[in-house]
Amino acid sequence: MKVPYSWLRELTDVSAPAADVAATMSVRGFAVEGIDLQPDGDAVLDFEVTANRPDCMSVRGLAREVATAFGLPLREVPSLAELRDGPTPAVSIDIERPDLCPRYVGALATVAVGSSPDWLQTRLRACGVRPINNVVDVTNYVLLELGQPMHAFDLTRLSGPAIRVRTARPGETLRTLDGQERKLAPDMLVIADAEGATAVAGVMGGADSEVGPSTTRILLESAYFNPLSVRRTSKALGLKTEASMRFERGADPALPARAMARACAILREIGAGSADGTILDCHPAPPSARRLRLRRARLAGLLGVAVPDDDVARILDALGFALTPTADGWDVDVPTARVDVAREVDVIEEVARHHGFDKIPSTFPALTVPPPPSDPRVAQARHLRDLLTGAGFFEAVTFGFIGQQAAQPFGASDDLVALANPLSETFAVLRPSLLPGLLDGIGHNRRREQADVRLFEIGARFGKAAGERRALAFAWTGAADPPHWSAAPSPVTFFDAKAVVERVALALTVPVVVEPHEADYLVKGQSAAVVCGGQRLGMVGRVAPAVAEHHGIPREDVVFVAEIDLDAAVAHTRAATRVDPLPRFPSVSRDIALLVDDTLPAATLRHTIRIAAPPTLVQVREFDRYQGKGIPEGKLSLAVRLTFRSVERTLTDAEVQTAVDAVLGAVRTQHGAVQR
Amino acid sequence: MAAATSDRDVKALDDELLSRKSGAITALMKALPSLPPDQRREFGSRVNAFKTEVEAALAARAAALAASRPPAGSVDVTLPARERAIGRVHPLMQVRQQVEDIFSRMGYEVLEGPEVEDDFHNFEALNMPPDHPARDMQDTLYLATPIVGGTWGAHRGPVPESQVRAATLLRTHTSAMQIRYMKTFPPPVRILVPGRVYRRDDLDLTHTPMFQQFEALVVGEGITMADLKGTLLTLARELFGDVAIRLRPSFFPYTEPSAEVDVSCRACGGTGCSVCKGTGWLEILGSGMVHPAVLEAVGYDTEKVSGFAFGTGVERLAMLKYGVDDIRLFYENDIRFLEQFPA
Repeated sequence: MKVPYSWLRELTDVSAPAADVAATMSVRGFAVEGIDLQPDGDAVLDFEVTANRPDCMSVRGLAREVATAFGLPLREVPSLAELRDGPTPAVSIDIERPDLCPRYVGALATVAVGSSPDWLQTRLRACGVRPINNVVDVTNYVLLELGQPMHAFDLTRLSGPAIRVRTARPGETLRTLDGQERKLAPDMLVIADAEGATAVAGVMGGADSEVGPSTTRILLESAYFNPLSVRRTSKALGLKTEASMRFERGADPALPARAMARACAILREIGAGSADGTILDCHPAPPSARRLRLRRARLAGLLGVAVPDDDVARILDALGFALTPTADGWDVDVPTARVDVAREVDVIEEVARHHGFDKIPSTFPALTVPPPPSDPRVAQARHLRDLLTGAGFFEAVTFGFIGQQAAQPFGASDDLVALANPLSETFAVLRPSLLPGLLDGIGHNRRREQADVRLFEIGARFGKAAGERRALAFAWTGAADPPHWSAAPSPVTFFDAKAVVERVALALTVPVVVEPHEADYLVKGQSAAVVCGGQRLGMVGRVAPAVAEHHGIPREDVVFVAEIDLDAAVAHTRAATRVDPLPRFPSVSRDIALLVDDTLPAATLRHTIRIAAPPTLVQVREFDRYQGKGIPEGKLSLAVRLTFRSVERTLTDAEVQTAVDAVLGAVRTQHGAVQR
Repeated sequence: MAAATSDRDVKALDDELLSRKSGAITALMKALPSLPPDQRREFGSRVNAFKTEVEAALAARAAALAASRPPAGSVDVTLPARERAIGRVHPLMQVRQQVEDIFSRMGYEVLEGPEVEDDFHNFEALNMPPDHPARDMQDTLYLATPIVGGTWGAHRGPVPESQVRAATLLRTHTSAMQIRYMKTFPPPVRILVPGRVYRRDDLDLTHTPMFQQFEALVVGEGITMADLKGTLLTLARELFGDVAIRLRPSFFPYTEPSAEVDVSCRACGGTGCSVCKGTGWLEILGSGMVHPAVLEAVGYDTEKVSGFAFGTGVERLAMLKYGVDDIRLFYENDIRFLEQFPA
């Protein structure tokens, strides 16, 4: 709300420099966003008015705040008291919906339309309002001064002297002042004449009854409209006006008559016209005055500081509240303009605001019960962050919504959660996976001379079936290790990514196995599922070139990714750690090289070995894999180290040999594997 | 001899003087028979002594050169290290973790809540009934179809309604968790809720449609605005060092009184500069005393308990702390940006 300092000073004798007024009001709840110096030496202060203070969308409302802050009296705005005594004007007002329009004040005036005087035009311009003609300017002036939206109809262009305040008829339309043809809905309140709607109540007038150079008689409107009704209408029409913004936040139901008197006074003062008789005040539903209780103990108890009674009385009185002392405080009558003050705490805020938040001391809340434990997911996320940054990954944070096309390979299209009102196509659906965002990150870095990139993210992903789930994902492209002069660089492989997955599983205390599994976004033969207890917790594999390309990564780039469902992992976490005794007897290792089919999964062979061997077999580890010269087509040589140990005694060579023979026999019969 | 700086030089010198074929000293010895017999004895012994001296000098030189050479297995320690790749925690998460630590130490329960919410928890119970003008302050993203939201509170045992049954929107603030928590647990309450929130804002220098927030809520008997101030001062000093704070009256539907909180500008010490736009103050968060309507919505007795709440965007704090002037940098995940933060 832009207010010329000279206008403020008309209502209160504030003498501080404009900058000081701005500084003071900023700590009273009205931040000043700027001070604009005018050619005539005046300063225009741009006050930020919060949504709960429609009363301060006016010079008078802000002047009251300034007067209170500086301890100065507030002058009343002059108006025409004698209006009430004139003859009743020849117009009838029928309010069909008193719930939506509890009060409608009308007056007729004879006018000579022309330009407003310079002082008036200057003020309007300073407030950011374009002068139109003297009649419209007066309504705008009163809007700015008192906060009461007003409207002037060209009486001769209305059909008859009967005004109806009613909801729109089905299919009714109206061309509004901005020239737009508006379709009105049946819940919209309109001002109508005998023919039809001539204004959208509280939002905008109609073009057909617009005041123009030839207008000689006007009907002035000063009403109170229901905030919710105006808000809905304004939203539905997509039409936000100075009037609608005030009505929807809540106008002062006591103001319409005073504003009308003020408007008529200015019309006369500037020679634009004069009222024909008195004003018509249709007031079918007068507002009930609000009386609230303010308890001294409650005031001090909430603020943490006692405010002297004199200060309470001074502040509330200056703000227009009427106080009656009671045993434990005051009864407070709330001014009708203060729609925001509905309960005791609102009065407390008024006192606190002008007493000064700076007078509240700094204390510390007492801890009265043992603090409950924190969400373990918070600590878990930190653990995972430490682990992954230690493994060379940068943490990424990406948006929770992505484009439909980017989402497609990562979630079934009927499972994607679409936004009803997305910002744009690139933010159309909730992410079914963290991977599209990470691939965008890889692409971004790849285009900026970064060939070796490792990113991870911890966050929510969404699906229609599973809902919101927490996940961890990573993406890795480029070298497996940072370049070094001692060795040629080696690119990241499946097994580098698998190692990270297994470390994550270890951190989660979830025993996982990695099994072949396909996914749309991964390269066939280089993709796997991360499984625990038969449940799939996630995927690991190489990103399909077409998918990579979609994220701005060259097709030929090798990118490995993995994603783990953290919520699913929770069910498999090991409860507590129990320590095993350390071995007391030495272990014995035997290396065997087996010629096996090149399609035989290592895990299958390992399983056969474990089943065939006695319980003294404590570890099976593949340590060499060879294909080529000396190995028949379709076969490969796999070297396996078997480690045996007993918890009871040192094993003999014969025992170990028996065990190895059992293993060799089993792999031969089950897989046709022979020892080389 | 001193000019011989390598084994090769020493060998060359050795050859030049002592070579059996062409050495200079060898030549002297070879000349012996041509001398008169009475001179041979003395000449021979002097040449021999000289030869011994030269041999010793050559050996000494060779030994000195060997001693100055690095021993076997020596390395050039000035070559680049074999680095292990090391990543970084995202700056927003670094700030978030710092905030979590500050509040954990103050006895707050740190917990997460769902990112998709329903209207009741995100708006209605927070004193923003349908059609409330304050809803315009937070432009909301709605889901085309309701889904089940994330879980919360599992660490407190079976929590009724620990999951949003039909989430219809992306939460616009972490305040939604105020309601979930208070509806489940009786006072006193002392919680910190960090998390992602969403608003229908276009990307620009200071806005992203998704950002990180944290929310602190304290409810109990005798909680005052002075307690709020003391807590905010502690937070501000932990985050920014020796700063002052200032509370300015403001409006939020779910707090009353409400206050914006400023910290004194460290760049200029409060005298006014370009960072603080000449005011000496930087706005860091919104706060206030919990609105009685909110306490009533969760069934708390407003005559018995009161509380405070505050929340802010982690981005804002990180921008101030690290001097970042474009919020979008946090979401590009450019390694050249990320690696500037401490490991």
